[in-house]
Amino acid sequence: MIDVRRPAAAAAAGKHSADSGESAAVRIKDLTKQFGALRAVDALSLDIRRGETVALLGPNGAGKTTTISMLLGLLAPDAGEISVLGMAPTQAVQSGRIGAMLQEGSLMPGVRVGELLDYVLGLCASPMPRERMLAMTGLQGLERRRVDRLSGGQTQRVRFALAIASQSEVLVLDEPTAAMDVEARHAFWASMRDYTDAGRTVLFATHYLEEAEAFASRVVVIAHGRIVADGTVADLRRSFGMPTVQFRSPVDGSQAFDVLAGVFEVQRQGEQVTLKTTDTDSTIRDLTASAIAWHGIEIHGPTLDDVFLTLVGEAQTGEDQ
Amino acid sequence: MTGYLRLELMRSLRDPRYLLLAVVAPVGFYLLFAALFGQYTANGVSTSVLLMVSMSVYGAMWAVLSATGPRIAQDRSVGWLRQLKLLPVQPRAVLTARLIAALLLAGPALALVFATATISHGVRLDAWHWLALLGLLWVGVVPIGALGLAIGYATDAESAFGLLYGLYMVLAALGGLWMPISILPSGLQTIGKLLPSYRAADLGWRLVAGRAIDVQSVLMLAAWAIILGLLALFFAKRRATAR
Repeated sequence: MIDVRRPAAAAAAGKHSADSGESAAVRIKDLTKQFGALRAVDALSLDIRRGETVALLGPNGAGKTTTISMLLGLLAPDAGEISVLGMAPTQAVQSGRIGAMLQEGSLMPGVRVGELLDYVLGLCASPMPRERMLAMTGLQGLERRRVDRLSGGQTQRVRFALAIASQSEVLVLDEPTAAMDVEARHAFWASMRDYTDAGRTVLFATHYLEEAEAFASRVVVIAHGRIVADGTVADLRRSFGMPTVQFRSPVDGSQAFDVLAGVFEVQRQGEQVTLKTTDTDSTIRDLTASAIAWHGIEIHGPTLDDVFLTLVGEAQTGEDQ
Repeated sequence: MTGYLRLELMRSLRDPRYLLLAVVAPVGFYLLFAALFGQYTANGVSTSVLLMVSMSVYGAMWAVLSATGPRIAQDRSVGWLRQLKLLPVQPRAVLTARLIAALLLAGPALALVFATATISHGVRLDAWHWLALLGLLWVGVVPIGALGLAIGYATDAESAFGLLYGLYMVLAALGGLWMPISILPSGLQTIGKLLPSYRAADLGWRLVAGRAIDVQSVLMLAAWAIILGLLALFFAKRRATAR
């Protein structure tokens, strides 16, 4: 695992984890789960402080869902320890201190949305006010509808309502927007912001990089059941991505650009030239000093896609060795 | 627990299959059979009264079976049981509510056949006889509820309904609910008399005939409830430990 947090942040995290169990929202130590020959989760350790919003990012099959299932007490680990607010996962669920929304799963067939919500609110020690819950999830007007006659997006909203009903301190979401269209996704994250403004801890799994970037204060990248990077989005970009210099040029081929300082890779599309570089300053200085004709120069920071591919690619290579 | 009980009752009362098979069918069959055989008597009791007992047990059996087996299998396969595990509710409370709901749903099935018999064939019993009959038959279908639970945990949603409906038909036919058990060949009679369906109905048949309750029936029903209950527990535990 590569810890790319800046020293101050890393030190703060270290100090926190030295405190009593209460300061950590989630504490996972050497968690391992094996399915037959597949090691789905491999000695994974992760501490999440209270109030953090953490994205668990990884390709399909990386172990995100397995990790979350164990965190919620749905699956027993083969080895390792998990605690949620200092409690065992099932205890945290039973006491309403952790709420969750899974990737799939229907609701109780045959009952109405309103009946189901009232039942769940009735279970909670300090339930969210009903009207607020309906407003946040956009379920007004659907209360009389039977849950087995909802669209996929509407079902998802009911499941979100169930997850937040107990106003739990910790909220876990496994690919919450997987079944949503773009509009629904925006609406979902808007209501999530609403919810987390109160300083709640959120852990969400996703394979949408933009979601991690827009919503998470910390990104944990996971591949093959292990954490391969952990830090803020900016940290990850800095450490693993390469910026690009783009411009238009009539000069043919890529050789003329390949020799410029710092250039790692040249891409051509007609007149459009894209240079991946380790140092944009040197590359541009070299370019302006050269005889190459160019116009319309633009500099772009590294994309998260690059970062992600680099990280997951590295994990893959590590696996093959 | 009462919250979940309410949800279970609501969904059954809205389910056309429950209403059709557990309430409408036994009432319809009662009317048919009583019209055909109602004028006969057996052991001094009118067939219209004996049929009332048979058909009310027939309806009550399906009420408890349909509210346990297929429902548990369906809830599991659509992922609702998993969803429930994420809510602050004890799994035991859910199971208890489900069982109580299933038994409560047997009530309308019993009562409507009683009412039909009273209206269509003028069946009259003392008030305490009605109450005793209702109570005995209600308790009598408890082992059937345990059977529903066991099948619900043992099978998946596709096979639970068919399997339970098949078992239901066998229990009804061999248990002497469709026709007197004395008509059956002696080998099948021996088997039939071991079944909880026969034993539950036998409690009622004896009551309406003014005969003493057969202790053997009570013991057999208790044995069935325990065996099937343990079986249900075994399958439920196996599900819980599976991946």
